[in-house]
Amino acid sequence: MPAEDVFSQEFPVKGGDFSKAGAVACRIKDLLKDMGLDTKIIRRAAIASYEAEMNVIMYAWEGRMSLAVSPEEVQIIVDDQGPGIADIEKALTEGYSTATPEMRELGFGAGMGLPNIKRNSDVFHIDSQTGRGTHLEIIIRTNGHRT
Amino acid sequence: MKEKAYHSIHITRDKCIGCVHCLTACPTKAIRIKDGKALIIDELCIDCGECLRACPYDAVHSHTTSFAALDAFEYKVAIPSTVLYGQFGGTTLPTEILAALRRIGFDEVYDLSSICELNNAATEEYLNDHPRPRPFITSTCPVVVRLIQRRYPALCGQILPIEPPREIAAKILRTILPKALNLAPEKIGIIHLTPCSAKMVSIDSPATLHKSYIDGAISIRDIYPQIFNALRKSEEDALMRHLFPETQFSGIGMGWSLAGGETRGLKHHRAVAVSGVRDTMRVLDQVEAGLLQDIDLLECTVCPDGCVGGPLEVENRFLAKSRILQLVDAVGERAVVDPKDASRLYHRNFLSFDHPVVPVDSHPLDADPARAIRKAQRREKIFAKLPRKDCGACGAPDCWTLADDIVRGQAHIEDCPFVNKEKP
Repeated sequence: MPAEDVFSQEFPVKGGDFSKAGAVACRIKDLLKDMGLDTKIIRRAAIASYEAEMNVIMYAWEGRMSLAVSPEEVQIIVDDQGPGIADIEKALTEGYSTATPEMRELGFGAGMGLPNIKRNSDVFHIDSQTGRGTHLEIIIRTNGHRT
Repeated sequence: MKEKAYHSIHITRDKCIGCVHCLTACPTKAIRIKDGKALIIDELCIDCGECLRACPYDAVHSHTTSFAALDAFEYKVAIPSTVLYGQFGGTTLPTEILAALRRIGFDEVYDLSSICELNNAATEEYLNDHPRPRPFITSTCPVVVRLIQRRYPALCGQILPIEPPREIAAKILRTILPKALNLAPEKIGIIHLTPCSAKMVSIDSPATLHKSYIDGAISIRDIYPQIFNALRKSEEDALMRHLFPETQFSGIGMGWSLAGGETRGLKHHRAVAVSGVRDTMRVLDQVEAGLLQDIDLLECTVCPDGCVGGPLEVENRFLAKSRILQLVDAVGERAVVDPKDASRLYHRNFLSFDHPVVPVDSHPLDADPARAIRKAQRREKIFAKLPRKDCGACGAPDCWTLADDIVRGQAHIEDCPFVNKEKP
């Protein structure tokens, strides 16, 4: 694929900054709309990137989200420095959450974050090292075919 | 479906001096200054009226029906927005206001509060019948519907498909009046009185009906002087009407025009009310990201504090709101609609949309995906060169929009006075 056909941009995300919650996901959504992607694809990307952004804000110290858009696919990579996820399999179970009571009080931590991201992506890859951070990579194909 | 987008908001070029008030006020960035005059981009405008509020020179005009135009009808019916009840201070009661409308030339006047209650009952029933999706979004505000069609196309299916009270009322009157009066339907004019700058759009190009049941909308601002005079001349009459009120107002419907008024009567569902165009957009962004799924109904009105903050009202909205709250208190919980009647109409689909809300063409950088991606890249590079002062001197509301206009071929980087200066 020729490099000029890939739009890429990086967004910093600060851990604990709830006042900016959703700002990156919203930006990503607007960019995808400008690039004329299908409404359903944009909705999936919006939901996945919102959940990913919230994970960084809620659990990590800081992170970076990278967006890469080609005519074939939307790729979102999230790297954070944070406590990492001890048991990824458990974290992928709906309803499982390590959110504190304070976070739950605010309406977060329903244990749907990662499962929701996975449900809305065609390729889902996650790596984590406890005490260091998490690397999340998702792809949403623009032709709507899932693998 | 490629007809030109109809709008009620227009710029009066003679009055426009090309300042930046409307430019920065527009929530969808639909205004540019070209050749010293404001210009509205049809595809982006949602007729919210923010520019009308912002213009210090009275150069933004909202098209509504003139009182004189009613002469075309043999029988004139007024269905005033409940906002009208808050426009006259002191002790002026809704019955007096309705009577004043008759005196100034309407053959019949109907109160909408009961129909608001009917809408409320139907909404509750619809929510019971449809556990998904969540949240549903109310359609009373025509600007919200247009905003969703253009900016939040994924949410079109979440608009609750029950017609707003004004259309339900007009539909009922269209059904009964021609027979009752023995008049041809086209000789009966059903006119909405409104504080809203977008009602004419929803009447002339409805988003959910084949054809609106309403014939026109008169702005409260235009008709206010006549009502005011009629009220002043008939104080004696008013006293009598206090004793024999002829309309039974609904407690649930009376506060409909205040933010939260549409959902106040829901008994079994969780509702959230948002008002103001920017807050509405913020919340719709969240809904699009999959949030608020624990809410059953989201009431959105783009005017501050609800319809009571409409740009075409006369009384300031705080006084109007206080007056309406008094009326809500006075009417109390009185219900005037039999739930069985509401249910019957609901099941006959009499209250439903003719067709669902459909997205209106989005506005991508290019129809070709690869070219759109390249333009998005170029836009970032251009934006990096701009000063980010968002001064509006180039004619675009902010630097980002100028960059966007440039890649769309509608502006030049030289339009920015700062970029020019920095060049050797």
